[in-house]
Amino acid sequence: MARFSRLARWESTLNACIRCGYCYEHCPVYKATRWEVDAPRGKLIILHELLHGRLEPDDYVAEKLFECFHCRRCEKACSSGVKTLELFRDARADLLDLGFSPVGTTSLTDADRCAVCLNCVRACPHEARRFDGTRVVVDPLECAGCGSCLDTCPAEAITLGRNFGTAPQELDERLGHLYGDGGPRPRSVVFCCAWSNYPGLQAARLAGAGDDGEVAYLVTACAGRLSAGTVLRAFELGAWGVLVATCQADECDHGGAARAAARMQRLREVLERLGLDGDRLQVREVGFAGAAAAAAAAGEFSQRIRELGPWYEECRT
Amino acid sequence: MGGIDTKRLRQIVGEEGVRDAPADLLVYGSDASVHQARPQAVVRPTTVEQVQQLLEYCHQQRIPLVARGSGSGMCGQTVPLRGGIVLDMKGMNRILEINLRDGICRVEPGVVDDDLNRELKPHGFFYPPTPASARIATIGGEIANNASGTRSVKYGAARDSVLGLKVVLPGGRLLELGGRTRVASSGYPLERLFVGSEGTLGVIVEATLRYVPIPRFRCLGIAKFDKLEQAGDAVSAIMAAGCQPSMLELIDHVAITAVNRAQNLGLPDVEAILLFEADGMVREAVDYEIERLTHYSQEAGGFGIESSYEAKERERIFAGRKKLFPSLSNFADALASTALADDMAVPYSRMAETARKIHQVAERHGLIMTAYGHCGAGCMHTKILMDTSKGEQWRAARQAVAEIYQWVRQVGGTTSAEHGIGISKAAAFKEEKAPLLELMRAVKAVFDPQGIMNPGKLMDAPDDWLHASPLRYDVDNGEV
Repeated sequence: MARFSRLARWESTLNACIRCGYCYEHCPVYKATRWEVDAPRGKLIILHELLHGRLEPDDYVAEKLFECFHCRRCEKACSSGVKTLELFRDARADLLDLGFSPVGTTSLTDADRCAVCLNCVRACPHEARRFDGTRVVVDPLECAGCGSCLDTCPAEAITLGRNFGTAPQELDERLGHLYGDGGPRPRSVVFCCAWSNYPGLQAARLAGAGDDGEVAYLVTACAGRLSAGTVLRAFELGAWGVLVATCQADECDHGGAARAAARMQRLREVLERLGLDGDRLQVREVGFAGAAAAAAAAGEFSQRIRELGPWYEECRT
Repeated sequence: MGGIDTKRLRQIVGEEGVRDAPADLLVYGSDASVHQARPQAVVRPTTVEQVQQLLEYCHQQRIPLVARGSGSGMCGQTVPLRGGIVLDMKGMNRILEINLRDGICRVEPGVVDDDLNRELKPHGFFYPPTPASARIATIGGEIANNASGTRSVKYGAARDSVLGLKVVLPGGRLLELGGRTRVASSGYPLERLFVGSEGTLGVIVEATLRYVPIPRFRCLGIAKFDKLEQAGDAVSAIMAAGCQPSMLELIDHVAITAVNRAQNLGLPDVEAILLFEADGMVREAVDYEIERLTHYSQEAGGFGIESSYEAKERERIFAGRKKLFPSLSNFADALASTALADDMAVPYSRMAETARKIHQVAERHGLIMTAYGHCGAGCMHTKILMDTSKGEQWRAARQAVAEIYQWVRQVGGTTSAEHGIGISKAAAFKEEKAPLLELMRAVKAVFDPQGIMNPGKLMDAPDDWLHASPLRYDVDNGEV
């Protein structure tokens, strides 16, 4: 037990977890893979067994524990009151002490390309990046995988270990499926923030408001990471409109809501110069609000896009 | 049992579809029960053909195989007692058809209940079995357990919604059972045999389901009781009078306390409450039912009765009920909530006595138990809250479970209402069904002659659940 001295204080919590699995629906990592080892319950089972010596720690276990966007959705949803974030953090610290060096969802800097401009250090909202005198280092306990640092790097030296569907290439692939042969070709695409409104918007579809199969919901990591290229790709493939649903700017842990608003404003101006109605690209601060607010935002947007019709018709006129 | 050739498994489902890291095996050997065991591999098929090939391989090699949805079962149904392969069915999660003209839908087994309802809702329909775990539970798992939920009193259990099934048998044979019609009188209804079979016969790879219209009006009421028995009597009186509630839930004081602590819902601090709901397309019809529900609750001693058509208020209370099970760990510090004696069904007339009996048994054995459930359907749930590190608490729990099911049999009830048997209710099930066990074994042998499908469950489960598998909890000195 000495090997997991921090984890040991969570023993009764690990027992209190009733393993109902209700956290599954809230976890963006699990939703991306649907492997149960990626869900919060899976992590809690692993930790229980590590603590009691029935599972030996290895690189795979360490990776699994560091694959987490720190969104706290599981914690907020847990009726058994399991403080997952704190618990996982202690377990991660124990694993680091044991000599494991997992990457998980944390950010990496390619030292060969890094010019040590320190933009990323200044940009990191979690103080996870610092300059150690020779290079930029990342504290894997602090890094939440928000990707705020990625855009700030002029040398494009930063990557996230694993993205679970939230990386620009992965979003492009999803768009490709949506608009490919036999795809549903939704009129509207809603990019949702994994930290705040993604599960809410999914639930909103359940409530049915404004959704008659016209809208596709894609989860991005922090909305601030969503690139202009990805949004343009949605339009290019056939979307009539794109909604970027962010956190409330004053609630956003990563400064992403403000970055998304600024970037999309610039892009909207470009679209308008091309003769498109600016309403086709909107940013809404949906935040942690419940399903009803999320449904209302998506519903209103979808309604407006129906009125506008396809953008390629508009261009023709 | 032969060794497992993971290379062969990867040939069938692809590199990405096989997991055998120790961490994966642990996670897939656990569910919401007190049990755990390790399989040798986890395999995720994505097509019927892959399932056929896997069952051919397992049949030839005599490898045990347990199909699994989201692993939300409370009795150890998906815990692989004899090792082997866990078949993760979440890779088959397509809704194949919603046919509005025929009033049916066809789904793969890994579709999550709520996801199906999300697709049905814009058409004005819902799939009614809906257990509290519907946000994660898969249709395949629900069928295999004959699951139901808060609205089963009006809409029935999974068995009432299943019209047809496609199943793969050991050896790889694909069968189509039942069909697409509401009624069928064409010989043995074999599709029903698979409902509640807990994966012991074959693997469900497709289900044809009926659905029902979403009512335009729903009204939720709540009644307080000073005595648990009064609430039980109210249930009996309501059902005996021919009322048609769409929900009739009893919640005792232990559960009220836990839900309030976990979710701050402010449920009334009384010995028991009844939640009742009526629904319908016409407001007057719903009013009529609510009036009757109120009347019989009052007659049995209910007071402070309120009801509301307001969606927000209904959702708030209902959310509390849905999360009751995970909330129970919040009843008191250091007492974990264990899914033991977790469900049963008793005749309405014995509901009140059963609720009281549960608390008496708990007290006698130094445990805390709760009584709640979809009592309108005859269903009673309980959980045992205890210090899971103490061996004597486990032994007391075993005795309490035995006494409660002895009572259930005595009053003409049955071991499981909707959670199934798995491992932890097997002893009670085997006593209840003693004269039928040989017949059940014979039926299983027809479908599964090698005995590879979820072996060691139902009629073949160990008699002593406490030692049937390692417990998920760590007990001091390892002594149970």
